[in-house]
Amino acid sequence: MQVLCCEDDFECWRDQARQLLRQDIAPHAVVWEDRDHRQLFASEPLPASTPMAGPTAQATRIPARLLDELKRAAQYRVSGRWNLLYRVLWRVAMGERQAMLAGDRDGSELQRRIKSVSREAHHLHAFVRFHPVMGRGGLDYVAWHEPAHDILASASLHFAERLGRQRWLIVSSRDAVWYDGETLHHRQPCPADWAALAESVRDNADPLWQTYYSSIFNPARLNSKVMQGHMPLRFWAGLPEGRVIPALMSRARAGAQKDGQAEAVASKSGKVIRSAAYAKDDSFAGAKPDAKRPD
Amino acid sequence: MELIDKLTVLADAAKYDASCASSGAPKRSSKGKDGIGATNGMGICHSYTPDGRCVSLLKILLTNFCLYDCQYCVNRRSSDVPRARFTPEEVIKLTLDFYQRNYVSGLFLSSGIIQSPDYTMEQLIRVAKVLREEHQFRGYIHLKTIPEADPALIAEAGRYADRLSVNIELPSPDSLIRLAPEKQLVSITDAMGTIESASQESRSDKRAPKFAPGGQSTQMIVGADASDDSRILHTAESLYGQYRLRRVYYSAFSPIPNSPASVPMQAPPLLREHRLYQADFLLRGYGFKVKELIGAQGNLPLDIDPKLAWALANRDIFPVDLNLAEPQLIARIPGIGVRSAERIVSLRRLKRIRFEDVARLRCVIEKAKPFIITSDYHPPQATLESNVLRRQLSDQPAQMALWG
Repeated sequence: MQVLCCEDDFECWRDQARQLLRQDIAPHAVVWEDRDHRQLFASEPLPASTPMAGPTAQATRIPARLLDELKRAAQYRVSGRWNLLYRVLWRVAMGERQAMLAGDRDGSELQRRIKSVSREAHHLHAFVRFHPVMGRGGLDYVAWHEPAHDILASASLHFAERLGRQRWLIVSSRDAVWYDGETLHHRQPCPADWAALAESVRDNADPLWQTYYSSIFNPARLNSKVMQGHMPLRFWAGLPEGRVIPALMSRARAGAQKDGQAEAVASKSGKVIRSAAYAKDDSFAGAKPDAKRPD
Repeated sequence: MELIDKLTVLADAAKYDASCASSGAPKRSSKGKDGIGATNGMGICHSYTPDGRCVSLLKILLTNFCLYDCQYCVNRRSSDVPRARFTPEEVIKLTLDFYQRNYVSGLFLSSGIIQSPDYTMEQLIRVAKVLREEHQFRGYIHLKTIPEADPALIAEAGRYADRLSVNIELPSPDSLIRLAPEKQLVSITDAMGTIESASQESRSDKRAPKFAPGGQSTQMIVGADASDDSRILHTAESLYGQYRLRRVYYSAFSPIPNSPASVPMQAPPLLREHRLYQADFLLRGYGFKVKELIGAQGNLPLDIDPKLAWALANRDIFPVDLNLAEPQLIARIPGIGVRSAERIVSLRRLKRIRFEDVARLRCVIEKAKPFIITSDYHPPQATLESNVLRRQLSDQPAQMALWG
């Protein structure tokens, strides 16, 4: 049994896997250890591969799609993540193409990991909350975001498409990405001063957004199960709106379900428009509270 | 009035519009450019409110002052609600700020009718125009179209917006006359026609400026009148056919404060709205026709989904052999979606499909079981009567009510 470690780096694993394939080493004869849980007796270096006779020598042929899928599945954080990847690679190289398909035992696990990784990238795109820092540290926006998989480096360029030339930083406890207006930089581990900057803004509230969120919610349709299914609890702490959710839910349960109006609106006085002509008067834009709301 | 107070009122006033989709726009990017905003065709849900709805766009009214008196609407002129009005600049500032903080992917702007339909439409267009031209905003813009506005204004709106929508409001013309006295079905469908022909023109000529590339959508209120599901879905089906609508949204009538006597006090079950969305999905994505989904009974069943109901009414087609059947038929099996059907077809090129293969695809296997044959499986329930099977498969077993 060979014990290997690839430092959770895909290119490193790929080199190792390529060598193992050339040496005909089956998946059950090799195990990769996780970077963070390396055992004491661990890894002897891979025996130097016999130099190839030339570039033509039995290059393993695998579908291009497989390489891309292995790379994506490699971002899935789970202990022993590299072993499955080698088993799939081995089986496909041996001609068992279904090993990469969802109907297969290994393939279904591979596809499940890819799906989770891509879901986590969507979570990044959805739930990052940028705080404006007005040029502090040469930056326009800073966010703290905690993804469950190693997606920060591969999925963050999305924000350069959204924010044009603006400069931003996204920090997690494992790594960080910084966009300087032109280029994306990935750092692992995250530099301490970046972490400190992100830490200083991560709990900032935003009354406008919290107001919008509270007002667009329809308390007559309370359905927290669906909300939590789409927006897992682990993200709430990072969302300014996450802090108003418990209060909104408990007020909705306590009786606001009669109609859909937000409580903050119900407490303001109303205004019936008496005639069509009245509505033409532009000056009522800032409507004075002249009518008492009936109880 | 402070901006935050206006936002309180004008977001609340906008919540009865169900759509918050930011999909269907062409790919745009601001990478390396001045300005901000991107679209990728898919849309992003940036948050979810505790009602389970997605927050994708800043969805607000420009004003909730309104000349019209539509009975189902919280903003009708006879309604005693707080009123407010944003300036276009305030909406622009909010949109850009919310966008950059990554709260939303764009703006969905609607309005009560003030002064005149044309004046109101001009105000909406102005917001979109300044966002696009002065701020080079490339995010998603959805503009509500005022049906009575000049077609030239609708054509202008389509140059700035990714999506336009005109609400059909109610499933039948009679209900519209009764509940929305100022609205006319003909102006609503004319506006849809204006949008569709402008869109067609732009699609047929590659050099022509883009016109609302995300297409048009509409909304129907469910449960404010007595229309049954058959009526609702037939209306939707004809709108999809005539005006190439991307989506019809169904909004369960939500009781509003100080509700007039002309509309119900009770909300319809949200489950009914859910079943309508499921049926609509089958119309758009699976090639079903309304008459297949709804028989003589007029309403969709609530205890089972419409695809299962269709399968139970067509037992002679089932069970279907997954190793032999056409992909379209596989996608019609309850519990198996289009995506899983594709996967089954690609897998069967390599091997015979076995029961465990289907289970691994994360289909809803309990639902699919009675309707499939694989190389190692034949459903024991194949001979079971449909009503027995229905009881076994229903979402809410009828017996529960006795103890619940």
